[in-house]
Amino acid sequence: MNEVLFDVALTAYLLAAAAAVWSLPARREQLAWAAVLLTQAGFACHTAAVVLRGLELRRLPFMTLAEVISLVIWAVILLELWLERRQRIRPLSAFVLPVVVALGLGLPSGLRAMALGAPVRSGWIAVHVALVLVGLAALVLNFGGALMYLLQERQLKQKRSGTVRRRLPPLETLDRLTIATLTAGFPFLTVGLLLGALSARRAWGSVVAFDPLAFLSILMWIVYAATLLGRVTGHWRGRRAAYFSIVGFCVLLITLSAGAFLNGRHGS
Amino acid sequence: MTGAGVLFVAGMNHRTAPVDVREQLALEEEKIREILAELSGRGLLEELMILSTCNRVEVYGVAAVPGEARSAAFTRLGSQRGLGWRDLEPLLYTVTGEEAALHAFRVAASLDSMVLGEPQILGQVKDAFALAQSAGTAGPVLHALMSQAFSAAKRVRSETEVGRLAVSISYAAVELARKIFDGLEGKSALLVGAGEMSELAARHLIDHGTLPLYVTNRTWSRAQELARSLGGVAVPFDQLDATLPMVDIVITSTAAREPIVTAEQARAALQARRGRPLFFIDIAVPRNVEPAVNDLDNAFCYDIDDLRSVVEANLKERQREALRAEALLGREVVKFSARLRQLEVVPTIVSLREKLESIRRAELERALGRLPGAAEETRLVMEALSQAIVNKVLHAPMVKLKDSSRAGHGRRWTEVISELFGLRGSGRSGPEA
Repeated sequence: MNEVLFDVALTAYLLAAAAAVWSLPARREQLAWAAVLLTQAGFACHTAAVVLRGLELRRLPFMTLAEVISLVIWAVILLELWLERRQRIRPLSAFVLPVVVALGLGLPSGLRAMALGAPVRSGWIAVHVALVLVGLAALVLNFGGALMYLLQERQLKQKRSGTVRRRLPPLETLDRLTIATLTAGFPFLTVGLLLGALSARRAWGSVVAFDPLAFLSILMWIVYAATLLGRVTGHWRGRRAAYFSIVGFCVLLITLSAGAFLNGRHGS
Repeated sequence: MTGAGVLFVAGMNHRTAPVDVREQLALEEEKIREILAELSGRGLLEELMILSTCNRVEVYGVAAVPGEARSAAFTRLGSQRGLGWRDLEPLLYTVTGEEAALHAFRVAASLDSMVLGEPQILGQVKDAFALAQSAGTAGPVLHALMSQAFSAAKRVRSETEVGRLAVSISYAAVELARKIFDGLEGKSALLVGAGEMSELAARHLIDHGTLPLYVTNRTWSRAQELARSLGGVAVPFDQLDATLPMVDIVITSTAAREPIVTAEQARAALQARRGRPLFFIDIAVPRNVEPAVNDLDNAFCYDIDDLRSVVEANLKERQREALRAEALLGREVVKFSARLRQLEVVPTIVSLREKLESIRRAELERALGRLPGAAEETRLVMEALSQAIVNKVLHAPMVKLKDSSRAGHGRRWTEVISELFGLRGSGRSGPEA
């Protein structure tokens, strides 16, 4: 049952992404509404599937990397729905949903995230994973915000007055979104990675030994730390901060795919 | 009035009539009230409303013979300034029925305006309708027409962007500022130099909550004067560099031959602002702000040509949006026709009910008169009995009338029922859409 629900959820996200992207240049409000409804429907299915999976396996449903990514997607959707609704950052979905769908389709078995080996069971690992998961979700939104910022900045610099400029929120709002997602996600990521490192040392005797995921995670952390530092000191604002967010996200993607496809201690 | 009236609109606008004729016919409220009363007194029109603005003079009415009503109305309007029917007739357009409804909706939604989507016209139509109501010349049809027109105009405003995009230079500047800044409340602006357009832009900014406004000018007294009139703060001209980092928006319009804000100055200001965005609106020709400023991070510089092209793009966009609005109004006309058809059978339903009710009451009185000692219970039973009979009798004709009005031949059935039941003013019915 939950396998089907995962597939339904991913399909709904896919359709929602298409509608959201198309609604950006099109003059149709209906498309934007369709995107919201599809996202909500997908989210409901996804939630039910995760809960059912947990009940079925009698453990937390985020103990394999694929499960974590599936849950990151879940968290991104939750935050994105909230931001669009409460903060009135309307076309955010057009930038976030395609990323989410790409992540989901990139998984070997979609959102189902079938566990291959026996997952590690430890209380601390669960906390490590949960924290990193929240951090990653915030960073996916950070990426969406950065993309919107760059697009809107381009529209304004090149003095284009099309539908895109009208649809996108003001630059300042987008800048605030990227800084907010970064400052919210970064502490989770930091503590989460730290916990992971400590557990790794206890279990394997080394933090990064033979594990590409752990190694790349540190690189990702450094990029985000630099972005945040640049932001706080006021050197990198706006466009430059957005570029850094995008670089950080690329490292994030590489990290996740390394974890998924290379053999390491995190398994695949 | 027993005529089966037809809804019509007759008039002239900025496309059909030259301004010198339109201005002759543009009348003040009191005069219109007088003409409304006079025309409706002649019995040619069942309902009447006159819309008179600087771009249009239109008569909205319900009349058995719209042609006659129209010539009477415009002859009367023209007589005010010595214009005869012959002068006016070639300038007039006339539409009836659903076309008239569509015309009314288009006017109210500002799709027929000279500046597409301008917001004043809706208020003017509302005023004209209020005037007709207070003069007692607006009846059920105009009432239905106008209430639908107002809601249609509101839908066009909220569901399309016909009226939303800036079509003046000064508003375009505000529109852009609102795409850079997250709301203009609490943002500050600097006005350098004077000029009609720049002052207007500054005023729009203030209307959107921009505060404080600094004003500077090479002539100190002029700066003070302008600051006073705009409610701003005057700043000496040599303080320009020191003021730049403090403001979010800079409007320039001086007659200087050389740029007064160079890229170097802007760079320094941006550095002091720690990267917060700075928006230059350069209305001056030759330009006051070096074009290279736009290449700096977080600086945005729009000159007069840029603003003009924004306005042009917006106008084009309004035209595209107008197409969507037209489709929306088309659907509103369909709804209006249905409403009007229902209106057609309402008077018959009301008088049929009244007639049966008066018979019932009279007969009940008479019967009770013959039973002086009747118990309260008996009275109640008789009351209920008579009411039940009336309701049962009414049921079939009511259903028939309502169904036929939906099917579009309500008029025929109102006639039949009026004839059968001997209703007053038999054959009387509402107007036709």
